[in-house]
Amino acid sequence: MIEIKNLHKSYKMGSNSLHVLKGINFNVEEGELVAIMGSSGSGKSTLLNILGMLDNSDSGEYNLDGVPIKDLNETKAARYRNKFLGFVFQSFNLINYKSAAENVALPLYYQKVGRKERQEKALKYLEQVGLRDWASHLPSELSGGQKQRVAIARALAAEPKVLLADEPTGALDSTTSYEVMDLIQKINDAGNTILVVTHEPDIADMCKRIVHLKDGVIVEDKKIEQVRADQYV
Amino acid sequence: MFDRDIWQEIFHSIKNNKLRTFLTGFSVGWGIFILVMLLGSVNGMQNGFHNQFNDDATNTIFVSPGKTSKAYAGFEAERRIQFKNDDIEYIKKSFGGDFEQISGRMRRGTTARYKSETGTYQVQAVHPDFQVIEKTIIMDGRFINTNDLLSSSKVAVIGRKVAEDLFKKEDPIGKFVEFNGLPFRVIGVFTDDGDDNAERGIFAPISTYQRIYGNTENIDQIALTYNTSYDLTKALEFSRRLEDIMKRRHKISPEDQAGIFVWNYAEAFDNISSFTGLLNKGSIFVVILILIAGIVGIGNIMIFIIKERTKEIGVRKALGAEPWQIIKLVLFESIFITGLSGFIGLLFATGILAAIGPNIKTDAFADPSVSFSTVVTATVILVIAGVLAGLIPAVKAANVKPIVALSDK
Ligand SMILES: Nc1ncnc2c1ncn2[C@@H]1O[C@H](COP(=O)(O)OP(=O)(O)O)[C@@H](O)[C@H]1O
Ligand SMILES: [Mg+2]
Repeated sequence: MIEIKNLHKSYKMGSNSLHVLKGINFNVEEGELVAIMGSSGSGKSTLLNILGMLDNSDSGEYNLDGVPIKDLNETKAARYRNKFLGFVFQSFNLINYKSAAENVALPLYYQKVGRKERQEKALKYLEQVGLRDWASHLPSELSGGQKQRVAIARALAAEPKVLLADEPTGALDSTTSYEVMDLIQKINDAGNTILVVTHEPDIADMCKRIVHLKDGVIVEDKKIEQVRADQYV
Repeated sequence: MFDRDIWQEIFHSIKNNKLRTFLTGFSVGWGIFILVMLLGSVNGMQNGFHNQFNDDATNTIFVSPGKTSKAYAGFEAERRIQFKNDDIEYIKKSFGGDFEQISGRMRRGTTARYKSETGTYQVQAVHPDFQVIEKTIIMDGRFINTNDLLSSSKVAVIGRKVAEDLFKKEDPIGKFVEFNGLPFRVIGVFTDDGDDNAERGIFAPISTYQRIYGNTENIDQIALTYNTSYDLTKALEFSRRLEDIMKRRHKISPEDQAGIFVWNYAEAFDNISSFTGLLNKGSIFVVILILIAGIVGIGNIMIFIIKERTKEIGVRKALGAEPWQIIKLVLFESIFITGLSGFIGLLFATGILAAIGPNIKTDAFADPSVSFSTVVTATVILVIAGVLAGLIPAVKAANVKPIVALSDK
């Protein structure tokens, strides 16, 4: 699903340049649940942003579902994002003046899905994350865990090939973190490919594979025995 | 492009951001309000000028004799010039196609008496043509005619105010009124759009007054109207020619400014036209300044809004919004807000003008309305302003990098 070869990225800061990714190589198969670990500032988000086409690499190859991703203009990147990817952010990034259902329906709007179908799908995915009854509520009326579940429903609504989650539990307490991980596991059980950036070992242990980043390179990449989150909730 | 979804998005964002909608809308609405009020007022002033001058025929020329200031052709300076009946005959002969009406004029104060009522008025002794020259409107009876003139009848056409003063509720037509002790028969009552003062006047045949005042052929002034098909240059050329010929006839030096005065309405009208033209240009200039200020203001507000919405735009882009879709959203929103609030400002301003317009009755200001074309222009300017004000921030918004927008730092 994802193939990355010798990926480099540096940020220019005035006359200095900060080499963040120094040759990343890794592949992700369909249906995997991968944790990207590393200490703060190790380049996890940078890698995820490049995978999400929100940022460009300096060199290296990137194939997504067999499509080479390079030299994209803004419009093309937007279309690929819409077609291939779903995003979940640490700070939820819901649009505060739209209801839960409207937030979930937004990527479908950009997929030019008709109004009725959008509404139906939004409700379906809210149902899946257990928030059907909260469909008409604004984000400000939801708890942190509920907001993240709405964000996950929104990421799912576009039916992406890959779900990218950057510290999805970073702003939540442990109980709600496990609820969110439980949801992510169930979505993965259904066959979705998911990448989760985290620096918390217990969250990483709930994935099926851990990729460890340090100083811009992968220092460890191992399959693990998944810890199920539902035993904690 | 104009699908329902984008309107829903726009209404949603307007509804949920009332303050910024109000701020944007207010600045545009206020700008248009001032614009329309300003144009309406200029219009009102213009109408005021026109009304004041329309009272008399606008193609009038007055020729008045003066006192020479230069010795010429064997005459000393300081010679008083006197027009006589044959001056009129001479002008009629010499300037056939140039004029339409011509009349002599003498003005004499008089004490008028009817029964026990008396009053002091000015009598204008004139020829029948004078009715047209001064746009005198007959309410009752008739104006002076050629028969009155030939027989030097003691007849009078009195103003509406004179009739009210002297005759109260009586019908004045056919009654005799005494002017300085001489009985005159009232043959008509007139009114004048221009002002009440004109209605305190009296007209009599000029021949009658010439007989009363020394049995002369003297006239104080000649009034005429030039050919209505003449434009300004032709009219001015005619009055110059008239002046030259009259100077030659009365043996006045061509350089003498004091011997004869020719006063041409066209000239005064030209001055007023250029003044109102200047006024118009000035107001257009002010309006442009207002609009620029408005556009800059809206642009600023929009940039501020985009800053505020950066995160939202980043989210939208992460979810797959193309740059054009972001531009569309911001642009349509600003066009919609500017258009609607401008329209409201327009309604308010035209409403106020329509309400106060009929109540203002001063000489210098009348009917301060705006024309349909002004409204159309204002609307077009509005839409353009909306586009301009929205464009820069829209492009800015479309260029927001999602990672920058989404970074929590
Ligand atoms: N847009 C940027 N410009 C400059 N430096 C950046 C930018 N984004 C991230 N960095 C730097 O790159 C390094 C990696 O950042 P990041 O990928 O966010 O780390 P992590 O997500 O692992 O904490 C950090 O030192 C960070 O300061
Ligand atoms: Mg990070």
